[in-house]
Amino acid sequence: MITKIILAILALVAAPLLGALITGVDRRITAWLQSRYGPPILQPIYDVLKLLGKEPMVTNTWQALCAYVYIVGAALSVVLLFTGSDLLLIFFVLTVGAVFLVMGALASPSPYSQIGGQRELLQMLAYEPLLILVFAAIAMVTGSFKVSAVFEQTRPLLYDLPLMYIVLGYALTIKLRKSPFDISASAHAHQELVRGVYTEYSGPFLAMIEIAHWYEVILVLGLCALFWSTSVVGMVVLVAVTYLAEIIVDNVTARLTWRFMLKSAVGMGLVLTLVNMLWLYAQ
Amino acid sequence: MLGNLINQGRIKSPWVVHFDCGSCNGCDIEVLACLTPIYDIERFGILNIGNPKHADVLLVTGTVNHRNKHVLKNIYDQMPGPKAVIAIGACGCSGGVFREAYNVVGGVDKVIPVDVYVPGCPARPEAIIDGVVAALEKVKTLLGMTA
Amino acid sequence: MLDTLVFVTVLLPFLVAAVLLVLREQNVRKVILVATAGVLALASLAMLRGGAFIMSPAPLYDTLITLGDFVILFVVLFVGIKRKNQIIIWLSVAQIIGLIILDFFMVKEHGNIPAFFADDLSLVMVLIISIVGSLIAVYGIGYMKEHEEHLHLTKSKQPQFFFFIVLFLGAMNGLVLANNLLWMYFFWECTTLCSFMLIGHDDTEIARKNAERALWMNVLGGTAFLFGIILLQKVVGTLSLQEILARGPEFAVAGGAILVPMFLLVFAGMTKAAQAPFQSWLTGAMVAPTPVSALLHSSTMVKAGVYIIVRLAPVYAGTYFSNFVALFGAFVFLATACLAAGQSNGKKILAYSTISNLALIIACAGINTPAAITAAILLILFHAISKALMFLCVGAIEQKIGSRDIEDMRGLFAVMPRTALVAIIGIMTMMLPPFGMLMAKWMAIESAHGQFLLMIMLALGSGVTVLFWCRWAGLMLGTPVAKAKPEAQDITVRAPLYILAGLALVVSFFSPVVYNSLVAPVVKMYYKAAPYALPYGNFDSPVGIFLVYPLFLLLGLGFYFALKQARKVTAAQCSQPYMCGEQQTVDGKPGFLGPLGLHVPVQSGNYYLEQFFGETMLSKWINVIALAVLVIMLFGGAL
Ligand code: SF4
Repeated sequence: MITKIILAILALVAAPLLGALITGVDRRITAWLQSRYGPPILQPIYDVLKLLGKEPMVTNTWQALCAYVYIVGAALSVVLLFTGSDLLLIFFVLTVGAVFLVMGALASPSPYSQIGGQRELLQMLAYEPLLILVFAAIAMVTGSFKVSAVFEQTRPLLYDLPLMYIVLGYALTIKLRKSPFDISASAHAHQELVRGVYTEYSGPFLAMIEIAHWYEVILVLGLCALFWSTSVVGMVVLVAVTYLAEIIVDNVTARLTWRFMLKSAVGMGLVLTLVNMLWLYAQ
Repeated sequence: MLGNLINQGRIKSPWVVHFDCGSCNGCDIEVLACLTPIYDIERFGILNIGNPKHADVLLVTGTVNHRNKHVLKNIYDQMPGPKAVIAIGACGCSGGVFREAYNVVGGVDKVIPVDVYVPGCPARPEAIIDGVVAALEKVKTLLGMTA
Repeated sequence: MLDTLVFVTVLLPFLVAAVLLVLREQNVRKVILVATAGVLALASLAMLRGGAFIMSPAPLYDTLITLGDFVILFVVLFVGIKRKNQIIIWLSVAQIIGLIILDFFMVKEHGNIPAFFADDLSLVMVLIISIVGSLIAVYGIGYMKEHEEHLHLTKSKQPQFFFFIVLFLGAMNGLVLANNLLWMYFFWECTTLCSFMLIGHDDTEIARKNAERALWMNVLGGTAFLFGIILLQKVVGTLSLQEILARGPEFAVAGGAILVPMFLLVFAGMTKAAQAPFQSWLTGAMVAPTPVSALLHSSTMVKAGVYIIVRLAPVYAGTYFSNFVALFGAFVFLATACLAAGQSNGKKILAYSTISNLALIIACAGINTPAAITAAILLILFHAISKALMFLCVGAIEQKIGSRDIEDMRGLFAVMPRTALVAIIGIMTMMLPPFGMLMAKWMAIESAHGQFLLMIMLALGSGVTVLFWCRWAGLMLGTPVAKAKPEAQDITVRAPLYILAGLALVVSFFSPVVYNSLVAPVVKMYYKAAPYALPYGNFDSPVGIFLVYPLFLLLGLGFYFALKQARKVTAAQCSQPYMCGEQQTVDGKPGFLGPLGLHVPVQSGNYYLEQFFGETMLSKWINVIALAVLVIMLFGGAL
C-alpha cells in the first residue's frame, strides 16, 4: 500500500517533468532532422510557464472546466499505470480526459474548434479499438488485464506479440497526433485548421492541456515499455527506439485524410491482430 | 519564485501570430523566411502559432485600410495579455508609400498600440528577429528584470 | 405480507389501470398515478428486503390466466384481420392452436406449479420496473398534458394512455416474478399488446404502421415463446422455471434436446429486445409519445427480452449454442452502435444505443461465466436508469425547442440549462468511468477475455459508442457567455429527471454494495462461484481490477477542482470565438461579418460518416448477417 502511494506521487510529479523533457528532445531532434538548430531542451517548460502567467481568456466557462478535467484524466491514468492497475481501466480513465477535451472544443462556435473537435473524435474512433485490442492481446499472454501481471512474465511480451507492438505504435501515433495523423491539431499551426481542437483554449487552460499532453506521452511510452517488462535496460532501449522511429515518421510523412486514417487503422489493426493471434495459437 | 519562473518563461517563449494587414507580400515573405532553417527563430523559442488566442506577439505587415482595421483590432483584442505588437516594414510603421491613398488609414499604430517598429521595404529577416528581441527587452524592463 | 407485496406489484397495477381507464378527471388521475408510483416503489423495496420466495396463489387465478391468454390472442387475431396483416393472422392462429394443445392436452398438473418465484435477479427487475417505470409514468402526467395541448385534441386520450402504461408495469412485474411459464407467457403477451397500443397511441398514419410492425415482430416472438415452452414441457416435463433452472443443465450436457426450446425462448427474447434483424420495431416505436419510448427502452418490454435470456443462461451454459448467442450479441452490439453513430435524430440515437446495449447484455449471457452474468445484470440495472433519464430529457427538450435533432440542440444550455445539465449527466453516466454502465462494460470486455472474435467486436463497438455520446454532450454546451435563465417545467416532469439523475450517480457509487447484496448471491446460486472479491470495495478478480471508490474520490475531487477553477472565470475574461478577426454576434448568434457588412451566421454540423454508417446501406447487411447467425445458431448450436 505504502509503495503504491509513493509510486502514485512519483507518477504525479515526475511524469510531467519527464514528459516535458522528452517533448523538448523531440523538438530538438525534429529541428536537427530539418537541419535547424532548434529550441533549448527545456523549451516546453518555458512555454508552459509563460502560458500559466497569461491572462485567462475563454469563450465560455465550460472550457475552463474541460481543460482541468482533461488533465485530471491524463494524470490519473498515469497514476493507475504506475501503481500496476488494470489496463482497460487505465484506458477508460484516459477516455474521460479525451472526452472532455472534445466537449470543450465543441462548446465554442468557432469553426476551427468545431472541426478540430469532430476530427479528434475520429482520431479517438481510430485509436480506441486498437488500444483495447492490444490490451486484450496482452491479457491473452499474461492471463490478466492487470499491469502487475505483465511484470510477472519471464520473457518480454514482444516475443509473443510482435505485430501487436506495431498496432500499438499505430494507435500511439494517432493518440499523440503525430504526422501523418495530426488531423485534429498539431504542435504547429495548420493553415485550414488553425490549432484545431486546441484553438479556443488559451493561457493557463492551454498550459493544462500541454501538461496533460506530457502525462500522455509518459503513459504512451509506459505502455510501450510493457512489451519489454523483463529488464529496465530493455525497456529504455525499446522506448527510445520507438520514440525515435515515431519522430522520424512524424518528419517524413505528410498529413493524411481522416478517411484513410479510419480505414487503415481498423483494417491494418484487425489484420495484424488476427495474424498475431494465429501465431499465438500456433505456438 | 513562481512569478520569476513565469517571467523567465515569458522571455524565452514568445509565440507570434502574423497578420497581413494589406502588405504587398514583400514583408510577409520576409517574416516567413525567419522560420526557415537559415534563420530558425525556434532557437529563441519563437513559434509561429497562427492563433491570436495562443500568441504573445502580434506581427503586423502592411498598411491598415478602412476595410480591415476592425480585423486588426479584433485580433489584437483576442490576444490574452501580456502581449506586444510589432509593426513590420515601412507600410506597417507609417503606411509607407501608400499612406496618402484614399483607402488607407495609415500605420498600425493608428488602430492598436505598437511596441516596436521594424523599418525596411521589405524589412530584412534579421531586422524582424531583432525587432522581436527588442520587444522582449522592453518586456524585461516592464517586468523589472533588467540585467 | 408476501401475498400483499405480490398483489401490490402485479395485480394492483391492473386494477389501477382499470380505474384510470374510466376516470376522466385530470387531477384525480394525477393523484392516483403519483400514489401508485409511490406504493409500487415502496412495495418493490419491501419485497427486496424480504428476499427470495416462492408463492402459489389460488387455483382460480390459473383459470383466469388461461382465459386471459385466449382473450389476448383473439384481440391480436382481431387486429390482424382488421389490418389485413397475414403474418399477424397466421401467427396468432398458430398460437391459439398451440395454446389449446398445451393447455388441454399436455399440461396435466394445472395449479401444482407455484405461479411465482423470485430470486435476486427477479427482485432487481421488480425494483427497476417499479421505480424507474413509475417515475416515467409520473413524468407522463406533465408530458401528456402538454402533448395533447400541442395536438389540439377535442377529447383527451389520456385515460387510455395511462391505462396501458400502468398495465404495462403490472405485466412486467408479473413477467419477472413468474415461475409457471404459462403465467410468464400471459404477461409476455400482455406486454406485446400494451406496446402495440402505446406505439399506435397518436393514431397517425406512421404510428399505425409502426405499431403494426411492432405487433407482428413481437407476435413472432410470442409464437416462438409458446412453442418453446411446449417443447420444454415435452423435454423436461414441467413448466416450472425453477425446476427447469435446476434440471436444465443436465439436459444441456446430455444432448441437444433442450437446446431447441432454449433457442426458441432466446429467439423470443431477441425479438422483444429488438435485436437485429428485428431492430426496426423499436426504432419505429419512437413515433409514440416520449414516456412510451422511455418505458419501452428502459424498464419494460426490451428488458423482458434480455431478462429471459439472462434468466435461462445457466441452462445453456457451456454449450455451443451459448457461444453463438455471445457471437450474435457482440455482432449486434457493434452493428447498432455504428447505426447510432450515423444518426442525428436524438431519439434514434437513443434507440440504436439501447439495442446496442441490450446486445451487449445478450453477449454477456452468451459468454455465460459468472463475471459475464454479473456484467449482464449490472448492465440491465444501470442501463435502465440512464436510458430512462436520456429519453425523458429528449422528451422535455423536444417539447421546448420543437425538435429532437441533436443538431438543433446546439447551445441548448442557454435555453434550458437544467435539462441540458441533466442530459449531460445522463450521457456521462452512459459512457464514462467511474459510473456503473462503464463498469459493467469493463466486466463484459474482460469476461470476453480469450475469445478474440468477440473481443474485436466489443472493442470496435465501444469505440463507436464514445463517438456518438461525446459529440452530443459537447454540442449542448456550446453557449454564449451570458448566464442562462433556468427554464420553467412542470414538477411532474422535473422531479423524475432529477430523481433519475440522482439515482444514476448514487447507484453507481454504491455499485460494490449492489453487487454484494443483489448480484453476487444470484450468480453464486447458479454458477457456484462469485466472480469478484471486493477488497476496499474494488472489483477484483484474477483477470482484472476496477477501482470504484478511489476513482470516485479522485475523479470527483478533480472534477470539483475543475469546477472551482471554472467558477473563477469572470465575464470580463470571456472573449469572442476565433473567426479570423471577422467575428460578429447579432442577437446572440455568432457569425462572420460578411461582404457589405452582412451578418453570416456560423453553421456547423457533426460528421455522421454516412459512407460508413449510413442507415439504409448498413441495415441491409446487418439484417442479412444477423439472420445468418440466427440460422446457424439454430442448426449449428441447437440441433
Ligand atoms: S514595406 Fe515594402 S515590402 Fe513591406 S509591405 Fe510595404 S511595400 Fe511591401
